[in-house]
Amino acid sequence: MNELITAARKRGRSQLNEVEAKDLLADAGVPVAKTRLATTADDAVDAAESIGYPVVMKVVSSEIAHKSDIGGVVLDVSDADAVRATFDQITASVSSAIPDAEIDGIAVQEMVPQGIEVIVGATTDMQFGSVMMFGLGGVFVEVMKDVAFRIVPLEVRDAKQLVREIDGFPLLQGARGTEPADLDALESLILKVSAAVEENPEIAELDLNPVFAYPDGVMAVDAHIVLTAEDD
Amino acid sequence: MPIDQSRLHRALNPSSVAVVGDKGPDYQWLTNQKHFTGELYSVQLDEKEIPNIEKMGVRNYLSLNEIPDEIDLVICAVPRAITPYVVADAIEKKVGGISMFTSGFAETREPEGVALQEKLVEMCTDAGMPLVGPNCLGIYNRKLGVKFGVGQEHGEGGDISIISQSGTHGMGMTNGAQSVGVKVRRAFSFGNGVILNESDYLEYLTNDPETSAIAMYLEGTRDGRRFFNVLREATKQKPVIIWKGGRSTAGTRAVSSHTGSLASSQSVWDAMLKQTGAIGVGSIEEAIDAMAVLVHTKEPVGRDIALVAMTGGQSVAITDQFENYGFNVPELGQDSYDRLAEFFTTVGGSYRNPFDAASTIRSESENLQKILEIIADEPIINGGVALEFRSRGFEKPEDIESILDLLEQYRQKTGQPVILMMPTFGVMTGDPEEAANVRNRIVDRGFAVFPSFERGAQALSRIVDHHSS
Repeated sequence: MNELITAARKRGRSQLNEVEAKDLLADAGVPVAKTRLATTADDAVDAAESIGYPVVMKVVSSEIAHKSDIGGVVLDVSDADAVRATFDQITASVSSAIPDAEIDGIAVQEMVPQGIEVIVGATTDMQFGSVMMFGLGGVFVEVMKDVAFRIVPLEVRDAKQLVREIDGFPLLQGARGTEPADLDALESLILKVSAAVEENPEIAELDLNPVFAYPDGVMAVDAHIVLTAEDD
Repeated sequence: MPIDQSRLHRALNPSSVAVVGDKGPDYQWLTNQKHFTGELYSVQLDEKEIPNIEKMGVRNYLSLNEIPDEIDLVICAVPRAITPYVVADAIEKKVGGISMFTSGFAETREPEGVALQEKLVEMCTDAGMPLVGPNCLGIYNRKLGVKFGVGQEHGEGGDISIISQSGTHGMGMTNGAQSVGVKVRRAFSFGNGVILNESDYLEYLTNDPETSAIAMYLEGTRDGRRFFNVLREATKQKPVIIWKGGRSTAGTRAVSSHTGSLASSQSVWDAMLKQTGAIGVGSIEEAIDAMAVLVHTKEPVGRDIALVAMTGGQSVAITDQFENYGFNVPELGQDSYDRLAEFFTTVGGSYRNPFDAASTIRSESENLQKILEIIADEPIINGGVALEFRSRGFEKPEDIESILDLLEQYRQKTGQPVILMMPTFGVMTGDPEEAANVRNRIVDRGFAVFPSFERGAQALSRIVDHHSS
């Protein structure tokens, strides 16, 4: 069993937090935004120094679903003093919004440029087991539910079809004057996530939301993994 | 449970069949086997039934073990409480397999039925006994005349085999396929599927050299992972049409991811069909339509099609439907137009593609031949011809055979499909009885014929997609 999963299980947790999920996926070859977990302001400065400024800082807690709504996310933090101040600020806003929330720490993440937002996910179907989902992010997934599925493990052909199956596919091809997304990189990310899910049967659900698709490459910016119940 | 394949083969291709517990006045199961090519026996204890069974020319015994011959297949139609005794006798007799019509098992969700089913499963598992059902119509084998309905055909040939969770739909798909000229090689109605399930039958038919295509009716699958793998292998060798009935009953789980909340059981099923390359359909009509095109269109073809209708209004309607399903109705080359201009009646007609051809065909019987030759020579057409049949221009029944000859020549010459449509709601459909006769003659000659443009377009589109995926 993957060490991160074993460790989470040992602590009685049913989920991997953002940083653990990203570490697991990075080990599986999935391009993820560099992220480190800090539990003190000094830790956070160390993390920011090694990642390089500017950074994004986010609260890490499995009990907080919409972290930006409660002041749990701050973008574009540009030096050590700002990191210390932001660390205290996030800690304060989160504890005033949700006093009892159990917080793993603050994630310090590299600031990555905005790309086309897509979602890549996995879940467990009652009949077929692990399946993967792909869709455009934001309103396309929230409102239009413009998503497509494939059963794990995906083959190269499945990843190609999955990406092309959604109604919004033309947006990835460079509609409205934007540059086309790097579809090869996107398909490769999907195949690596498929392999990671296949290799780790303890992954019940997974969201990479968003993944930024660029003209050259892709990058998962947020990640969340739910584990199967231990007796499964 | 893994079933010995040679034993399963023996049960599904029997030389001897014993029907246990058939009852008057119909003697449904013995009657179904009237054309069985092997040895037929009856097992019946009821003294009131035995004379009638013997009158049918069937030898009756008081138990399976009294039959002097080896038995390849037992068809069991006894009341449910008796089934364990029949299964015990069948095991002792070392029969090939059992097809169990008897119902009243786990499908009732009553403790008694559930317990009885568990008992049968245990007995059959221990003995390695292939059990079809229970709660099913069982086995149809065209070549051997083993049937689950008297309407099923028997004899040589067969294009397609059918697997159905439901007896009604297994029968409906078999009869429906026959009615459009598709010969069904085998059918399995598997009911509760406790020993042999959908994946086992699919695997058997994948390996069956006499089955060239498969059509299934399913309401779900017991072991989705295995079914996915078996289906993926099957579609590498032969086309598989799947009609899924019923909205999801797979249940809902608590999910705490975005992905989980979006993954409905139906969307995953649809993805599974795409991923395996199976042909998904939504009704029995669509299943039959797809079979009808499939057996005549075995190679990949294009989507640039010629449409021939008999009136101006129908030219528009047929074009709308084929374009809706992704076909192109291209203009032809100048060569073709030059040749058409020599004879085509353009007053009340048109040949741009679609063709509005009734006046031209009526004025001179050779004109249809000329039109088909020009379409066959036309390089831009790669998807065949779809033709409105039996409306203006086809009044004379004696012309039908020669028209079908011409269409056959077109098919031979181009290797492209010919789709015929006799719209139910066309203006000039003529006498319904005569229309039915024409339809039968078309089917007998090996053409697919549809009651609407939409169904013809949809069916052809499915098969074109299938061959190109």
